[in-house]
Amino acid sequence: MSDDPDRRTGLLEQIADTALDDDYYVVRPGHYSQAREFNTALTGVVLGLFALLVTMAVVQTRSDRPATERERASLIANVDDRKTLLDNKEKTAASLRAAVTKLRASTNRTDPAYELLRLKTGDRAARGPGITLIATPTNNDDRHNTNQLTDNDLQILVNGLWYAGAEAISLNGRRIGTMSAIRSAGGGITVNYDPIGPPYVIVALGNEDTLESRFNDNPSGRYWLGRVQALRVRNVVTSSDQLTVPAVTAQRLTPIHAKAIEDPR
Amino acid sequence: MIPVLGLAIGIIAGLILQPSVPTSLQPYLPIAIVAALDAVIGALRALGERRFDDRVFVVSFVSNVIIAAFMVYLGDQLGVGSQLSTGVVVVLGIRIFANAAAIRRRIFHA
Repeated sequence: MSDDPDRRTGLLEQIADTALDDDYYVVRPGHYSQAREFNTALTGVVLGLFALLVTMAVVQTRSDRPATERERASLIANVDDRKTLLDNKEKTAASLRAAVTKLRASTNRTDPAYELLRLKTGDRAARGPGITLIATPTNNDDRHNTNQLTDNDLQILVNGLWYAGAEAISLNGRRIGTMSAIRSAGGGITVNYDPIGPPYVIVALGNEDTLESRFNDNPSGRYWLGRVQALRVRNVVTSSDQLTVPAVTAQRLTPIHAKAIEDPR
Repeated sequence: MIPVLGLAIGIIAGLILQPSVPTSLQPYLPIAIVAALDAVIGALRALGERRFDDRVFVVSFVSNVIIAAFMVYLGDQLGVGSQLSTGVVVVLGIRIFANAAAIRRRIFHA
């Protein structure tokens, strides 16, 4: 213990070796050189102080504990409650989802009126006889808008086909549905907000024998044929008994603001 | 006799009065207790080695507590309070264990 501390290399070793305060080893002259007495008031006071310190800390920690414990317990209870709630909601969601799937399956199979409605509104791809009209502008290098087919021409064309008895029409693979628009945007033509370009391929389902002649005979058809000749657009019409048109994209078929009025029947 | 009486009085006073530590001093209390424990264990060892001196005990007790608390305070001001308290606890802990080992050797001769 009384080894020279400087000889110790490690700091921790040195601490361990000089654990006892050096003052205890110093022999003081005079009165206190004899005073090796433990049983003194000074020792008592200091030990009392020590006991007071420890007790204070213990009491403080104990009185703090219930509050934190309570908080923790309530948090745990809260978490458990939420977990149960979540489980219930998930169960409800699962059962509702199953119900929806079941109901949808039953309507799909059994309700012909609903299927007809979907066909009418363009919610389903359709197949049947009809005509295909392909309009190819031959003067592609002409940049003047006045000498090209416009959205207005295509609107009149589609209108004339409806008038001639078409039941489902698609324009370059875009089905014309209840909310479809043909319009010009930025120098091009869009259908259902999809840009399309020439050649324009129009598929119209209907009576393949009468559709073309009825179209050519009505004012819209005559206007179209006049435009085609004036703009030197190659206009090819073929009839077939096996044509298909796709369904309308979902976002052009979903009313957001319009609500159905109660049917008075 | 007097030291045991002092201990008992301290415990009883703490239990009865239940003095609450001011919030600003709360971080220093545990370190102060470890420092005080070091002084007490050192005193017990000195007692066993018949070197005990009540004046040295008082001085080491008070200075230990004050220096330990001051180091934690300083660490708080420097933003390394927890690291410095860890350091103080490690050093005091080594001293406590070394002194306790010395006492054990003296009593059990092992």
